[in-house]
Amino acid sequence: MTGPTESDETDSGPASAAESERADPRPDGGTTESATAEKWSRSGTALSTAVGRPLLVGVVTVVVAFLTVPVIVTFVSSFAGSAAGVVPRGFVTFEHWQQVLGFGTHGVQANAIPGLAFSLAIATGGMLLNVVIGVPVAYALARYDFYARDWVNTLAILPLVPGLILGIAFVQTYPNHGRSALGLLAGYCLLKSPYMVLTVQSSFQSMELVRLEESARSLGASWPRTVLTIIIPHAKRGIVAGCIITWTLAAAEFNFTYMVASGSPDPFAIFLYRNISNATHLQSAAAVSVYFTIVVAAILVLQLLGNRGFSTAQR
Amino acid sequence: MSVRKSATASVRHLAALASTTARPTTERERERRRIAVLCLPFFALAIVAGFVPLAMLVRISLAEDTIWMAGWSLEAWETLATTPTYRRVAWNTLWFVGLATAVSVALGVAVAHVLEKYDLPAKRVVVAAVSFPIALPGIIVAYLIVVLLGRQGLVTNAVAVATGGAPLDLASATAITGLFLGYVYSLLPRATMVLRGTYAEINTQAEEAAHTLGASRWQTFYHVTLPEIRPGIVAAVILTFRSGLAIFGTVLILQSHRVVTLQIHEETSVGSYSPDVAAAIGLVYVAFIVAFTFVGLRFVDNDAVEI
Repeated sequence: MTGPTESDETDSGPASAAESERADPRPDGGTTESATAEKWSRSGTALSTAVGRPLLVGVVTVVVAFLTVPVIVTFVSSFAGSAAGVVPRGFVTFEHWQQVLGFGTHGVQANAIPGLAFSLAIATGGMLLNVVIGVPVAYALARYDFYARDWVNTLAILPLVPGLILGIAFVQTYPNHGRSALGLLAGYCLLKSPYMVLTVQSSFQSMELVRLEESARSLGASWPRTVLTIIIPHAKRGIVAGCIITWTLAAAEFNFTYMVASGSPDPFAIFLYRNISNATHLQSAAAVSVYFTIVVAAILVLQLLGNRGFSTAQR
Repeated sequence: MSVRKSATASVRHLAALASTTARPTTERERERRRIAVLCLPFFALAIVAGFVPLAMLVRISLAEDTIWMAGWSLEAWETLATTPTYRRVAWNTLWFVGLATAVSVALGVAVAHVLEKYDLPAKRVVVAAVSFPIALPGIIVAYLIVVLLGRQGLVTNAVAVATGGAPLDLASATAITGLFLGYVYSLLPRATMVLRGTYAEINTQAEEAAHTLGASRWQTFYHVTLPEIRPGIVAAVILTFRSGLAIFGTVLILQSHRVVTLQIHEETSVGSYSPDVAAAIGLVYVAFIVAFTFVGLRFVDNDAVEI
């Protein structure tokens, strides 16, 4: 790949001078640029210096376009009346949205609302279960140093069984309950728990756990009371962020659902699958846009909480 | 004799450990009980929903009668070992996911580098654009690839207008290139997020020193920056490769390359239903992922791997 090979570090000089405000645009950008260019003039003739930066910016532009253009086109064209040509026409109509949500006048009349509600309820259940299992293990990993801590850590943050395999095994192991809402809930919870553990763990790591705990204990609180009323409320932000991430990812989890889910109401992922694999182009666009709306709402809430979107890396 | 003695000793030791954990008398034992209590809910779920189904998978792969789970036979494993199709599926998966991982991590380095080192006008937009696809399931990624490269796709028609070809011939969404771009679409954001964390931690003074000593930009990157971000690259490769192996929805819709997940799906579908072979493939697949993860983690600090 030519991307990273042609790199340069134009901003390293000024960046160190104003390290704390590297993310912001520098007020004195022009003067430092010229000063650094003079200082490094010995390497000015190198090929990488001349073409590196434009090339890298070009690569990133292509990447960003590749990632965003189809999303925007899908969302916009879900409001179009016809997609016979290359460019969708006939704005603005809500026909396809009504159609996928089950209020259409023709075609599949299946109402998507029960399935959507079912999926969202399961995702909520998985999220709550994740709080119960994820927060304690995150606290243990952040606070204590114990035998096999690394193994527990790896197990908790890297799901070792992919959703597809888990789905197949699940149905065979629990033939009576595997396909029920309970089975879906347990599976979602296990598959998405790493996101909860990581988010809450980084929240705990930024706190002075030992001091908090010792203060509470020396004032007479028992250990369970300390954890429940002091430690966990302090990590509220991380827990809420983890909740949103696990909820959104569970709402559209496909691989596991496809193997496990059966019959009515259809979970949201199966609803998406049906709308993508056999429906008109614009109807698929509307169905996918329903999920985009959910994700954007989740990201906005995460941003309000000061999280960086769907990433658990906090540094 | 000595083996038995040491086994008895370790059993006794474990029993003592368990009893002191249940009824602690010292502060250290109380702490151990706390850790056990905190980890208990997670392991309860992991055992019920993870390990027991995996054990069941072993049983299915060894069953003679897969409907009633009766009898024992090695037939599924023999089929797996002797049929050349499965070797081809394994090879297909490895090179395809490996290439997608390489491309995604390389592009991820470029994006992380630009985001960290340059002053971009719309940095927040770039970050949002790169992190958004993490939330998209594989089926949606497949649809987005159809939007770009399908018969009515934007890129298809742009190329058709530019070259004068017919869009029908140029559509590549259901060709292997379309699937490859789908993989990159899912994997690139994950790689970038890991690498951004690494880039935020590196020491910029060494890079400045290299500059002042006359190194070109490329020399600085290759000799100074690259060694510093190497743990991040390893972590990104581990995560991306694992995620790539687990992709199923995209392949199910685009259907252009027979990778392991599609093969498992086929073994469990009506018509070619053979759950014992599917279970055997699944076990090999899980064993490979576990082995790959633990071998990979030897090269990198445990905490560097985040989803």
